[in-house]
Amino acid sequence: MSRNFVNLNINQCKMCMPLGASLAFKGVEGSIVILHGSQGCSTYIRRHMATHYNEPIDIASSSLTENGAVFGGTKNLKSGIKNLIKVYNPKIIGIFTTCLADTIGEDIDRIVKEFIEEEHIDTNSLKLVTAHTPGYGATQTEGYYVALRKTVEQLSKKGHKNNKVNIIAANLNPGDIRNIKNYLNEVGVGYIMFPDISETLDGGYRKAYERIPPGGTKINDIVDMANSLATIEMGISIDRSLSPGQYLSDNYGVPLYVTPAPIGLRNTDSFLDTVKNICGKEIPEVIRHERGRLLDAMIDAHKYNAQVRAIVYGDPEIVYSLVLICEENGILPKIIATGSNNSKFEKLIKDKIKNFNDEIIVLNDTDFETIESYATNNDINLLIGNSDGRRLAEKLKLEIVRIGFPIHDRLGAQRVIFTGYNGSANFIDLTSNSILARKEEGFREEAFDKYYKNSTEKENNLVKISNIEHTKTHPCFNKDAHQYSRMHIPVAPACNISCNYCNRKYDCSNESRPGVTSEILKPEEALRKYIAVKQRFENLSVVGIAGPGEALANFDNVRKSVKLIKQFDPKTTFCLSTNGLMLPFYANELIDLGFSNITITINTTLPEVAAKIYRDVNYLGENFKGIKAGEVIINNQLDGLRFLSMHGIVCKVNLVLIKGINDFCVEDTVKKVKDLGAYITNIMPMIPVKGSVFENFSPVNQLELKEIRDKCGSIMKQMYHCRQCRADAIGTLDKDCSSEFACKG
Amino acid sequence: MKSLQKSCALGLDDDRNLSKNIPNMDIEESVDDFIIERRKSIFLNSANKSMDFNCETNSVAGSVSQRACVYCGARVVLNPITDAYHIVHGPIGCASYTWDIRGSLSSSAEVYRNSFSTDLGEKDVIFGGEKKLTGAIDEIVEKFSPKLIFVYSTCIVGIIGDDVDAVCQKAEEKYNIRVISVKSPGFAGNKSTGYKMGCNAIMELMDKSCGHRDTNSINYLGDFNLAGEAWIIRNYLQKLGIKINSTLTGDSSYESIKKAPSAKLNIVQCAGSMSYLAKRMREAFGIPFIKVSFYGLADIKRSIYDIANFLNDESIMEKAFDFVSNKEKETKQNLEIYKKRLDGKKAAIFVGGGFKAISLIKQFKELGMQTVMVGTQTGKKDEYETIRDISDEGTIILDDANPVELENFMLEKGADILVGGVKERPLAYKLGVAFCDHNHERKHALCGYEGAINFAKEIDLSINSSVWNYIRKERGD
Repeated sequence: MSRNFVNLNINQCKMCMPLGASLAFKGVEGSIVILHGSQGCSTYIRRHMATHYNEPIDIASSSLTENGAVFGGTKNLKSGIKNLIKVYNPKIIGIFTTCLADTIGEDIDRIVKEFIEEEHIDTNSLKLVTAHTPGYGATQTEGYYVALRKTVEQLSKKGHKNNKVNIIAANLNPGDIRNIKNYLNEVGVGYIMFPDISETLDGGYRKAYERIPPGGTKINDIVDMANSLATIEMGISIDRSLSPGQYLSDNYGVPLYVTPAPIGLRNTDSFLDTVKNICGKEIPEVIRHERGRLLDAMIDAHKYNAQVRAIVYGDPEIVYSLVLICEENGILPKIIATGSNNSKFEKLIKDKIKNFNDEIIVLNDTDFETIESYATNNDINLLIGNSDGRRLAEKLKLEIVRIGFPIHDRLGAQRVIFTGYNGSANFIDLTSNSILARKEEGFREEAFDKYYKNSTEKENNLVKISNIEHTKTHPCFNKDAHQYSRMHIPVAPACNISCNYCNRKYDCSNESRPGVTSEILKPEEALRKYIAVKQRFENLSVVGIAGPGEALANFDNVRKSVKLIKQFDPKTTFCLSTNGLMLPFYANELIDLGFSNITITINTTLPEVAAKIYRDVNYLGENFKGIKAGEVIINNQLDGLRFLSMHGIVCKVNLVLIKGINDFCVEDTVKKVKDLGAYITNIMPMIPVKGSVFENFSPVNQLELKEIRDKCGSIMKQMYHCRQCRADAIGTLDKDCSSEFACKG
Repeated sequence: MKSLQKSCALGLDDDRNLSKNIPNMDIEESVDDFIIERRKSIFLNSANKSMDFNCETNSVAGSVSQRACVYCGARVVLNPITDAYHIVHGPIGCASYTWDIRGSLSSSAEVYRNSFSTDLGEKDVIFGGEKKLTGAIDEIVEKFSPKLIFVYSTCIVGIIGDDVDAVCQKAEEKYNIRVISVKSPGFAGNKSTGYKMGCNAIMELMDKSCGHRDTNSINYLGDFNLAGEAWIIRNYLQKLGIKINSTLTGDSSYESIKKAPSAKLNIVQCAGSMSYLAKRMREAFGIPFIKVSFYGLADIKRSIYDIANFLNDESIMEKAFDFVSNKEKETKQNLEIYKKRLDGKKAAIFVGGGFKAISLIKQFKELGMQTVMVGTQTGKKDEYETIRDISDEGTIILDDANPVELENFMLEKGADILVGGVKERPLAYKLGVAFCDHNHERKHALCGYEGAINFAKEIDLSINSSVWNYIRKERGD
């Protein structure tokens, strides 16, 4: 088992046995299935199949209830079969068990025997086939082959030799079955395709609706399979005890050839070679031409396929063939996964992956939770498999080349062709087109970001343009970006100044204001938390550092956190909030680290006013007080702002409005910072915090605040939507979700 | 025999001549196809006869019922609880087929979109699955720090005798979180039983002592926030000055369910699944409830007025009156174009619950359409009475119908469109009948005023598609 959780299967990469059995039996002429169990099994399986094939899927149930579960389901099963015969008039009924029937020990063979006697069933015109397919037994793959094997065991009979080849089809699409039949017709060989879902699960529109769709393997042909020239079975990973071909070989001496499903050059070659060897006929020119076209297509696509790093997942039989076509075309199947527990498959694959130059991860008996955990670190750029991968694709923002069962999120899966030379060409077109589409969409921006934006001789105005781009998705710089999420990583506990309006305490999750956080994170923890948050909020666009202390007084932590997160996700917008004291020291490095947006709190440009706001300023180890402290901090703030703005950083200036202290000089401050290049100012009301020097000050009310913002609005852009967030805020401005992520980091 | 079948199936008096009421309907032939036990669940509406109708029963074996199982019912009700860890205790299929298949949206947590299964195998069936379940809960607690876990029992858990209640209780004590056992073995009833089991699980979460009754604060039951529908209704009510305290269960969370008892009123949209919860909340907390429906203009209006009336607040009533008349006027204008294109078309309905069917019949009337067949998976007796009252003479009414019955009556009644779920869609298409998806997988809203327009739009784009011209030609119509 390759799963991260021992007792849980999280986000399943497999389905159950009765589904596989029902699916296989759909390929038999005049057939209908009844599942012996509770009503849900048949309904869920019908829904699962109907959405893939876009065909009506009628599967009956014996609808066991409490009575049946306690006293046995004989009565239900018998009346169920009887009703089915009346309504559908089938030629053959598949009677398969579910978990419930097998757990209560239902003897379906006995029940069916009794039924035939009691109802005087003419078994020449109505066949009843039974198979045990408990959901806990194995997966849909095993269920598929069990149903085929049991059908052959119960129907095939020795008779006159025929001149046909039995073809046991893997769980392929109707389009593929039609394709393989075309090939066989071209070769001119007689065959029995079993099962044959080409018409039953992809029927055309007809004037009159038929409850049992026409088509499927003829019952007489199934009887006659014991007398064929040979059997070709697509079932290389299938245990021999489940193999219908093995049964025919063991009991009737029909030679058995086991091949992979003919997807890819070599698999198609070996399939056709086998046919040729059995019947002694040459492969006709029209097929050889198609082979030539595939080779041509492989050349056309090779450079793009060489860039594919894929996860290949699904039914083991299909995955095996896909790994081969990947190998032929230089596609790297970095992760190969199946939900089935199939040691034969694992061995076969481990043998194949020796041919790759890269380490391949093989996951047998796995789930999507595990696949996802491997996906994040392996530069995956494509998923190849069924639509159960769609939630993973959504998270990783990747395309899926949809192949296998089920495909629930796109139309046409029943018609798509991946087998043969033509289908293989179709497949590699899809994989290479996924690369081409990405290239087309992104190569301009990528080259710009890589070679122009980060070139040493930056032109300020151009850099500014790209930083303005970042600003478009930054909720604190752009009110129209409110739908984007941001997270504050609380990695900076220490502070270098003491403000009279501040009292930092760490552990109140119900209080929301700057300086408050529930936990302090180390850089590694910050990365882990980022990954967790990113999984929840796809629109997470911004990582901010806003304390709870002063970012630039904890610069080692800041630097390391940014580097780690950037490594994981190069597209993140970084911003930082600072009191500006140390800006002249770190401005250059902030630019190099890729900070696009920086907020500086500048409450005044007058030292005597600053003296009333800051109690202490600790600058390079020296403690300043009063007007001197004001001069030091204001000079550094303004120098820093000028430098950053000149270098294209989008700067926001926060101004804490304190009634009676700095309200008279707000407009002057705003004018000054505008001259120095600030992009926006954010005038915020002081929150009188208990325990702070200003705790008894009355804050400005909303009207006063609006008045002053409006006044300053004539000077420069104002921020009206500030929420004065916590140092560990997560989510959108309007909805903080930080508590949900606490202690998870 | 044939005449007997006829009267059994359709509840007709022997002397009534069928073809008089329903032209082009070859009842004898179709009835012959039906299963005898099913005949009392099929009713031809007629003012002159009593409704002896079979519903709220178990499905007939071999009938190819469209219903799922008890587990399905419970999953429908609980799945939208966004921050819960839903563990399906059983073999893989039950979890695999219900993984993130519904269109319920979340405004915060996304945990519910994952599928957790204990993936029981043969050994577990023999030796019991309790150990594995305990281990599964331990792992989830260790890796995710959950607040709330649901453990669904599936068929075999009911048979092998795992004491799921005990495992859950132990885990609650050990971790001080909520671990709720949902008793949903598939065979232990039908889908409706599952709804009840889901509702019982919800009741266990509610905090009786969660404080005073908020004025004008209500709970919204039976909306699963498909395509954001609960958000649409929340916005409407907010405009009237009504606060939604909890939604059950669309976009809900452990905390939001906990505080549900503090509401003044419960309104119930999906009556089939949630009336039971409303009744239990009335018993336990004394919260009254009313049934509402936000599908179709008539029902939206009635529902909003009912809520306003109940709250007995003049300002709400005034706002409700303005809101409804403005919205209705605007919507009616927008619907005009569709009405013209849909006039006289015939609709067939097959949905989960009776209450939705009732709204749909009215909605079709608003569009100038006639409902010729209406069936549900789990409708109640009183709902079928209402269906009968509001549908026309000659309308076919069905409970727990199977594909053969749907096929017969759609063709015989000449339905232009079927409203139904995923499994019914390919059948309609094969018969050359248009289709409207009214299921839990849809990704567009059908409730409220915007939903009414979406609905008309969808009916129009399917019924009036150019595709049918070629199909009709093919048929030689």
